[in-house]
Amino acid sequence: MWRRRGWRAFARHDDEGILDDQGTLHDDTNMLTGAIIAGVVFGLYYTLVGLGLNLVFGVMRIVNLAHGDFLMLGGIAAWFLFTSLGLHPLVSAGLVVVVFVLIGLPIYYLVVPRLLRSRDSEMLSLILFFGVSQMIEAVTTIGLGSTERSLPPRLLGVGPVILFGTRLPKAWIFSAIASAVAVLLVYLYLYRTRLGTLTRAVMVSRDEALATGIDVNFVSAVAFGISLALAGVAGVFAPFILGSITPNMGVAINITAFAVIVVGTLGNPLGTLLGGIIYGVSLMLMQTYLSSWANLLPNLLLIAVLLVRPEGIFGRKVRRA
Amino acid sequence: MKSKALALGLLCAVAAAGSANAQPAAPAAITIGTLYASSGPYASISMPVFDAFKLWVDQTNAAGGVEVKAFGKKIPIKLVAYDDQSSTATAATLYNQLITQDHVDLLVADSGSVLTSVGVPIAKEHKQFLFDVSGTGAAFFTKDNPYIALMSDPVSTIWPHYISDFLADQGVKEGVKTVAILYSTNDFTGTQAAALKGFFERDGKVKIVYYQGVPTTTSNYTVLINNIAALNPDAVLELGYVGNDIAFLRNLQDSGEKFRFVFSIYAGTEKEEIEKNVGISAMNGIYSYVPASDYEYKPDVGMDQKAFHAAWDKKYPPGSGVAFGANAIYGYMTGLVVQQTLATTKSLDQMAIHDAVFGLSGKLKTLDGTFELRDDGAQIGEVTPLGQLQPEGKDKLKLVAVYPPDLANGKAIIGK
Repeated sequence: MWRRRGWRAFARHDDEGILDDQGTLHDDTNMLTGAIIAGVVFGLYYTLVGLGLNLVFGVMRIVNLAHGDFLMLGGIAAWFLFTSLGLHPLVSAGLVVVVFVLIGLPIYYLVVPRLLRSRDSEMLSLILFFGVSQMIEAVTTIGLGSTERSLPPRLLGVGPVILFGTRLPKAWIFSAIASAVAVLLVYLYLYRTRLGTLTRAVMVSRDEALATGIDVNFVSAVAFGISLALAGVAGVFAPFILGSITPNMGVAINITAFAVIVVGTLGNPLGTLLGGIIYGVSLMLMQTYLSSWANLLPNLLLIAVLLVRPEGIFGRKVRRA
Repeated sequence: MKSKALALGLLCAVAAAGSANAQPAAPAAITIGTLYASSGPYASISMPVFDAFKLWVDQTNAAGGVEVKAFGKKIPIKLVAYDDQSSTATAATLYNQLITQDHVDLLVADSGSVLTSVGVPIAKEHKQFLFDVSGTGAAFFTKDNPYIALMSDPVSTIWPHYISDFLADQGVKEGVKTVAILYSTNDFTGTQAAALKGFFERDGKVKIVYYQGVPTTTSNYTVLINNIAALNPDAVLELGYVGNDIAFLRNLQDSGEKFRFVFSIYAGTEKEEIEKNVGISAMNGIYSYVPASDYEYKPDVGMDQKAFHAAWDKKYPPGSGVAFGANAIYGYMTGLVVQQTLATTKSLDQMAIHDAVFGLSGKLKTLDGTFELRDDGAQIGEVTPLGQLQPEGKDKLKLVAVYPPDLANGKAIIGK
């Protein structure tokens, strides 16, 4: 109670707080509970956003700064498929998975092996994929213009779903389910398939995997394709979660996705689940109690984790999947 | 000998007098510098302004150029425009470049308060007059800065007064007693929110139960709407940019929450853009400002709203990327002010430009209403009536002006 009143006092001091002096303890509790429930569901979407980025880092030790732009392209694809062919976004999501995996393979062979032969591939990947990101944004802006695009809310159902007394949009539930399915599939891929076992071997040591005769490039190319597919699927849901898509949204998505995977442990795709939920809950709590500062959250989380636990929440024990 | 010297002296005197009265050589072109944002969060409000301004430049040049009184002739316009990509840091560099490197004759700001804010001190420092298209932040206008005038929107402290007046007047009669204000923390909406708060507190008729700012980058309002709903306000005022309004209205519909009065700035001012992203059902009954794109003012100068809309559609066919809306009007209207300024200014000296712009105050009527400036350059003439989106037929919405009574062309429907 004291703590909650303390937050309120701070907010009021900042002249941006809730001004209702009749707010009861019951109201505060509802708001807190609502923020946490909404945060968990919303965070699952950000798990989907960060999952592919972490997979690529885990397997190749490179940072794909164009990840957010591939997400944007997934959204554009869903918008295009709906407006031109009338395809439902859930159908588009399936198509996007296939197409983005297929796009990912040649991009991998064109870019990544050369990158990995360089002295400092992690640093160079930042520069190279930043360039790719800028190119994608510029080409999309030239081709489609800069304004917002979206899909009709009715496609995933209008009206709320009430979860433990908290009203949530139906689209959040769909995206949370999609994210849960994606996490499950990535888990099954990594732990229940031969290619997944080889992928984990590459994650442990690329050189040793190469020495044992594993086709490291093929394994990595598939992982890269899966990563783009995950970004693409997240993009399909973006109009419903973020309101709309614009060609320039990639950078902001990247910053958030990066915070999510650092919190959940870099290089550990499944740690992204925890990172996403922590981000989601933190964001909703910030929106509830200190809304003006909510956009600082990704950076605050990054700084906090890097200072307190640089190896991420899961740490070294599970870092290499 | 004496007569020869006298003749020479007379010749010199005539020549000297002639050179003293001669007009300075006319430039080959009037250079107008401006910025636009082709990408980023402000692209939605910047590109319509820029495209409309280009439309005016093209039309003017096609007619042989702009009439410049100082040179007594028509001179073509050369437009120097840079893309600031919605970045204030980039915009600051480019404003400097336009003034110090390109030496533009006239400087036109980018659209909106955020991207104008960095231009105001730079223009003042360089004593370059700034045609402020729609940067309505109250802090831009001070008595010690003669180098700015707001073209097309009323200053943010004036803009929202019809909202509070309406709620205090008709709203209270219908039982509206409490209001929630949710705003994006930037000069444009932050100033309006503060002004509204002041109006409500001054009038004392409607109580503010929620007053909270969110970053302009906010793209999800679900929890915020749930929190507002927990306080059960009668009216909810959401003040944000286009992206904010799209997310808010979608989330509001998704949440199933109903409030008796909901206001959003861009539901009316960029109706086509919002409708495309949100859908008609989420906009039905929403209150907004009525911009000149939805209200027919009779102009003395330039095209009227219908003619301009037709010219816009011809140059930028629907679906080509940038939607017609209030910002398109603002861009064209700024062109008209520039045109009238050049037609009356004594020279291209920046204080002469200032005098010419202020000389138009109260006299210039365009498709955006009456152009009238306060002493400090703030726009006070172009009013923004309060409107409501009401059904027109089965699948269309019309923005109806509902307040003030002398500008209203319909009646407000306050929810039960």
